[in-house]
Amino acid sequence: MTDIRTLLKRRVVVLDGAMGTELQKRGMPQGICPEIWCLENPDVLKSVHADYSRAGADIVYTCTFGANRVKLAQYGKHDARKVNRQLVRLARQAAGKNTLIAGDIAPTGKFVEPFGPLGFEEAVSVYKEQVKGLLEAGVDLFVIETMMDIQEARAALIAVKELTSKFTMVSMTYEKSGMTLNGTDPLTALITLQSLGADAVGCNCSSGPEQMIRLIEAMKPYAKVPLIAKPNAGMPRLLKGKTSFSMDAKEFAAFGKRLVQSGVNFLGGCCGTTPEHIAAVKKSLTGIKPVPLRRRALSALSSARSHVILEDSRALCVAGECINPTGKKDLQEALRSGKMAIVRSLAKAQQEKGAQLLDVNAGVAGIDEKITLTELIRTLCVSTKLPLVIDSADEEAIEQALRIYPGRALINSISGEKKKIKKLLPLAAKYGAMFILLPLSDKHIPQTFEGRKKIVQQVFRKAAALGLSKSDVVVDGLVMSVSSFAQSALVTMKTIHWAARSFKVNTICGLSNISFGMPCRSLLNKTCRSLFRKQGLSMVIDNPLRKSSGYNKYAANVLLSKDKDAAEYIAYCKQLSEGKPADSRPAASADKSPQDKVFAAIVEGYRGDVKEYVLEALNRGAGALTLVNEVMIPAINRVGSLFDKKEYFLPQLIAGAETMRIAFEILAPYLKNSGDGENKKTVFIIATVEGDIHDIGKNIVALMLQNHGFSVIDLGKDVPVKKIINEIKKHERPLVGLSALMTTTMVHMREIIECAGNEGLKCGFMVGGAVVTKGYAASIGAEYARDGVEAVRVAKQLENICLNKKK
Amino acid sequence: MKVHFFDAINVVLPQERIYSRLGFVKGKTRVAEVQKARIEQDIIRALELINLQGAAVRCPILEKTDSLFKIPGGLKFSSKSLLQMLQGCEEVIFMAATAGKEIVNAIAAGSAAADMTGAVVFDAVASEMTDAGLEWIMEYYSYELRRENKFLTKRRFSSGYGDFSLENQKNIGDILQLEKIGVRVTPYFLLEPEKSVTAVAGITPI
Repeated sequence: MTDIRTLLKRRVVVLDGAMGTELQKRGMPQGICPEIWCLENPDVLKSVHADYSRAGADIVYTCTFGANRVKLAQYGKHDARKVNRQLVRLARQAAGKNTLIAGDIAPTGKFVEPFGPLGFEEAVSVYKEQVKGLLEAGVDLFVIETMMDIQEARAALIAVKELTSKFTMVSMTYEKSGMTLNGTDPLTALITLQSLGADAVGCNCSSGPEQMIRLIEAMKPYAKVPLIAKPNAGMPRLLKGKTSFSMDAKEFAAFGKRLVQSGVNFLGGCCGTTPEHIAAVKKSLTGIKPVPLRRRALSALSSARSHVILEDSRALCVAGECINPTGKKDLQEALRSGKMAIVRSLAKAQQEKGAQLLDVNAGVAGIDEKITLTELIRTLCVSTKLPLVIDSADEEAIEQALRIYPGRALINSISGEKKKIKKLLPLAAKYGAMFILLPLSDKHIPQTFEGRKKIVQQVFRKAAALGLSKSDVVVDGLVMSVSSFAQSALVTMKTIHWAARSFKVNTICGLSNISFGMPCRSLLNKTCRSLFRKQGLSMVIDNPLRKSSGYNKYAANVLLSKDKDAAEYIAYCKQLSEGKPADSRPAASADKSPQDKVFAAIVEGYRGDVKEYVLEALNRGAGALTLVNEVMIPAINRVGSLFDKKEYFLPQLIAGAETMRIAFEILAPYLKNSGDGENKKTVFIIATVEGDIHDIGKNIVALMLQNHGFSVIDLGKDVPVKKIINEIKKHERPLVGLSALMTTTMVHMREIIECAGNEGLKCGFMVGGAVVTKGYAASIGAEYARDGVEAVRVAKQLENICLNKKK
Repeated sequence: MKVHFFDAINVVLPQERIYSRLGFVKGKTRVAEVQKARIEQDIIRALELINLQGAAVRCPILEKTDSLFKIPGGLKFSSKSLLQMLQGCEEVIFMAATAGKEIVNAIAAGSAAADMTGAVVFDAVASEMTDAGLEWIMEYYSYELRRENKFLTKRRFSSGYGDFSLENQKNIGDILQLEKIGVRVTPYFLLEPEKSVTAVAGITPI
């Protein structure tokens, strides 16, 4: 039997086709456990394996897709290990002697923490049980397939790797969107899985061969390992009561060449494919050589849902440092009490400010760092897409974090200290993590570049012996405060220069350290960043939330050791603190009159500006009522008209209305003083009826009506009939607006209108809401409005009717 | 009938649907860059407040007429239009998705504190994300079913739709143990938090 690695060097390896659809064709009924049925009908299973082997498959997958204890338990009590053993033996008996047997592992059907209820270690244990069974029966290699959750794929891969060094393929299944159901794209999955030790990575099921080409193309430039494609025979269709797949063998095999050209090394078929499809694929691949792997190493980090490639030297990669409790009482308290809201918001804020990675540290006195760091990682995996930098001095905490982290992490850090090397380098190798190499040893922190270089080389030699490469290493320039060591920046710059240009690895610095004990820290930090960048710095640990200025010559002189005792810099900072920088804001177009500006602000919905323009107009002598009637009302009418024509959509309508409301609030005292306004307003009572909790539509209507001169009394949501009736009684011929979103609650509209009628109350009713129709409104004696703009028109009509009745 | 809970549903942001829900019409609606940036920011803020969770359960149909079906435990559901969808189905999936409390509170806070624009965007994002949550659950089951050579109906039915009365929400809520994902059915058969939804889909054997 040929070794898989030898085979891969020579040609594209052919995999088998579908098992499930083949078994069904050969008599397997529905609703049963396929694995148990196969054991009861061994000849059928063997015939499928034998047919694929004869068709030219180099590898057949065992029929153990659902043979893990979680899946088997759905069909009664079974010994998972035994079931696996027996199914492997049947495959071995049926397949030709030149066919390799891959032990097939697939989802449990449950998502794994932090994305679901199945604990990570429980998932590893479930898979280990299956792997043991497969190993006992002598599979040649493993395939973890049809995975939709990267964390479950990791759990299965760790289970295999902790029990054997056999070749292991991992294949995910992707949606039309190009992501797994759980949101992982193919390149992110590749980065995570190949670094964790998968020997081949790829995709199967879900789509046909054509769609799979783009998934393979996305992975190939970054793949250190061979790629797998096992597409469906198109998508399933129902034809005359039978399932059929859209592609026949010839059509399916026609994609073989293109898939290989896109980078596939393993090609087979999934749902709907048959031995005929595989035979056709085999034939189509005659004489076609696979595209060689383009790389042996990759500097990249990943989370479950995104990745960062660290090979683009044009951009400095920022690791946000804010999730670190040192010196932060609120964060310390949150971590102690397990309240993670602050962590989530720090993550989001840093992401918004441009962080591409998040440094995570849980070192607080009085807490178990191992537990807290793991909890932090669980929280962040769900709440942010950014890959994490695991920052701890506790080796056990790092180990626990690496195990559960559903991506490829960066360890912060491994130094030349013996204990760190011994404990952490093997962990980086096992979990495929990148690591920050901190050039200090048990004895000292070298204060010369040469001393640091020596430690970097020593640690790297040990890392290389464990299979790690330069692409896995990020050298820390080791920044120390210039206030305690004047040459600090110079030594770091030399270290960075050498590491980036000669040793050719990524480099990083924790910038904040440089300015400890100095004034105007952000000036120093930012200048330091510019200087280090010129030396080749590729990554930085920094606070992206802190505002900082650019390069500054005084700061540069301190860093380059040209300003003795930082005297000039300190004097400069003192001057700076005495003057207050101007708070510049974009100037409004000067050529417009204040009235025009008010009009434009309402039409454009610029809430922040309108106050100033209204005051400016008043200062220049404009009358409040004139402003309302000649500027604001036409402006809001213009917004309504644009909305009616669908040139504006809802957020623009509301922004305009809110701007108008702000303008009204400013004008209110002026209108009151001039006697224009309040006493002329028609009262409009508005409420969402009893039992109904939906009120955004009602709130929009209230806002629109206020802007059109109605005195709106908003009673809120879930308002009892009696309360509405009592409010009507307080006013003379008010208008009443009722909202309901559900059939069960809109009955109260009729009740209210009847009750008002019975009590002889004079008022006009308008109703609206998702389930309310014009017909229903008419049937209960109310007017109907479909949205806020129409509500204004209807309210004005009702107002006229009421006014006429008064007369 | 074991309920499957989904603690952290991850869906692709249904951006087009959110815009469409807000009344955006391609080729007609014009949005200035500044306005667009603000709306996009509100969408991002909304996403941060949404904690999309779900629950689903597969049930065999024990008895079926053209207007009613019965499941284990003696529960009956009647609706002609739903039964039309369930033609040929031997099982159903009851499912629910919720955007969680935080976003609903933020919508209320926005309405009350002079940020109605943000509130309407939040509202649309939460509604569409919740719907996308149900689609995600259906997709999840489609994987399982494909291997059993079964299909999930493309459509789903929610109570309150057509002749499938809103009152069914109570039984569906009980079956799905909605309290475990923080959702309750009110006496008027509404779901709280507001941005929650339940549905039924059918499973067709071939």
